[in-house]
Amino acid sequence: MADPTTEAAASSGGLPQFDLAQWPGQIVWLLIIFGVLYFVFSRVFLPAVSSTIDAREDKISGDIGDARRARDAARADLDAAAGELAQARARAQKVAMDAQSEAKAAALARQAVEEAKLAETLAVAEARIAAARAEAMGHVRTIAVETAQAMIHRLTGAEASSAEVERAISQAVPS
Amino acid sequence: MAAIEPMEQFLIHKVVDFPLIPVPVLGHIDLSITNSVLFMLIAAGLLCLFFVAAAKRELVPGRMQAVAEMLYGMVDNVLTGGIIGDRGRPFLPIVFTLFMLIAILNLLGLTPGGFTVTSQLAITGTLAVMTFLIVLAVGFARNGLGFFKLFWPAGMHPAMSAFLMIIELISFLIRPFTLALRLFGNMLGGHVVVYIFAAFVVNLAIFGLNGFGLNTLGLLGSGLSFAMVLALTALDLVIAIIQAFVWAALTCVYLNEVVNLDHGH
Repeated sequence: MADPTTEAAASSGGLPQFDLAQWPGQIVWLLIIFGVLYFVFSRVFLPAVSSTIDAREDKISGDIGDARRARDAARADLDAAAGELAQARARAQKVAMDAQSEAKAAALARQAVEEAKLAETLAVAEARIAAARAEAMGHVRTIAVETAQAMIHRLTGAEASSAEVERAISQAVPS
Repeated sequence: MAAIEPMEQFLIHKVVDFPLIPVPVLGHIDLSITNSVLFMLIAAGLLCLFFVAAAKRELVPGRMQAVAEMLYGMVDNVLTGGIIGDRGRPFLPIVFTLFMLIAILNLLGLTPGGFTVTSQLAITGTLAVMTFLIVLAVGFARNGLGFFKLFWPAGMHPAMSAFLMIIELISFLIRPFTLALRLFGNMLGGHVVVYIFAAFVVNLAIFGLNGFGLNTLGLLGSGLSFAMVLALTALDLVIAIIQAFVWAALTCVYLNEVVNLDHGH
């Protein structure tokens, strides 16, 4: 305020900013201060800040990469385990099926043997029945001859020889 | 009544006197520390202090480091990266320095007893001319004489282009003035208005305490003026940041024109 030029500028009603006497000092100081600040910012502070930001981003993306790799590995393990499980299950199923078919085959074989045995027994029985029937049928003619002789004897009192009766039966009933 | 001298706050006076320094052509130059220079030094000191405290290389940033990284990210993403694009990285330091210095000078002007360096036309003018010269230098360095394509609107009748070239040239050359006057006017106006309302607070209160009746209304006016001072100070805080941002953004817009001249902007 002791400066006469500024006092004059203020009292004359003009803006103190238009007092050109004050310009050179401010301009030179501004350029010096701006230059120093620019130097300090561009060489020291901003590289520090940007490298810190970059380092953090690298770290974060690296960590995310690690996590992603770990997840993929876990997923691969899971897939492998699932594959093994499926294989084991298939093997177990195959074993069970094999056992089943074996048992079935054994049962079938046993059944076949039994059936063969049964069929044999049946054949023997049938042969015996046939023989018995044949024998029985043989007896039928003899019975018929004897019956006829008895009937003739009772009816006529005459004796008919068995050869005659047999001939007559043969004529009446062709065997 | 206290005298109302709204321009007194912009007066420059010496704090530390230095002898005149002789300069060959210009005569003598006075590099004494004035209040303007003192607040520039304070601003530079605060910025350096802040960044010394903030420029830690912690993986998980503390508060100061987070603020510094946020400011860097804002300039990088919004200004140089957002306006200039991929070629904007080399201009980050100059835009960052401009933004930080103007912002801190504006804010220091709002502190009680502070001096508003950015309300000095010498300061805003110097910064504006510097910005303009940087744009010119970058323009010629990147494009050579192709820089003049900036003023030649392509794709129309040559006579029309010639006419428009004059307008383009004028609008280009007027940039340092608009840059300087915008910041100067905002700071000057804001502080003068706050000063006048603050003077009302005091003078109307004195008037109101001097008697009864009509005088009592003075107390009401004083209270209203105080509310205005509060509101205007809040507004000035916003303007302080916005004007610094506007300067940095315009610097980027101007740089973008000359840096991406071959991209058909």
